[in-house]
Amino acid sequence: MALDQQTELSRAETDAVLARNETGVLSLARGDEPYAIPISYGYDAESRTVFLRLVSTPDSEKRAFLSSSPAVRLVVSEESPPEYRSVVAQGTLTEISTDEMTVERIEQFGDAKRPLFEIWGADKPDLRIQLYECDATTISGRCIELDHAAYA
Amino acid sequence: MSASEDIVFTCPHCGETMTVNPAMRDALFSNGCVVCGAAVDGDAFAPAEQSCT
Repeated sequence: MALDQQTELSRAETDAVLARNETGVLSLARGDEPYAIPISYGYDAESRTVFLRLVSTPDSEKRAFLSSSPAVRLVVSEESPPEYRSVVAQGTLTEISTDEMTVERIEQFGDAKRPLFEIWGADKPDLRIQLYECDATTISGRCIELDHAAYA
Repeated sequence: MSASEDIVFTCPHCGETMTVNPAMRDALFSNGCVVCGAAVDGDAFAPAEQSCT
């Protein structure tokens, strides 16, 4: 596939990609073990905060990784031919308890919707839903323009 | 949050319970349960019990 050009996205463009999408891949780590999961999220461009509602079962890998290092990366990508855009947000996960709830947080978590990729196979009592905020310290994005004519 | 305005929210779907104020109640109506995301109605809210001093 021929690449016409690759450009870095501006802050406004990366914010726009994160705001108009609602799913991505969250990467966590424990020691030298990587872990990545598809998640749904909400995004507040003003504070550059990602809102996540994560569901896990007691003995799941996810719960183990969520309780390890709070450093994470979120990858969001979209394709609108001939362009392909991707954004990588790097930050720290902070669990939010219901005691810390505010109107603003209820609205932001509302944007996160129900987890689209979660498969709630376990009985409800075994499921734990945890709310997280990720303050993005670094957000970068790229746009690649593909030359589809090269394949015609 | 004024104690007299306290409202107890109990999600009928996930069972989460929290004390909210009127503005938070309105936000929960509009956005659904903050924990599980399910839609909620008026039955999910009850006045907080007042303690006598």
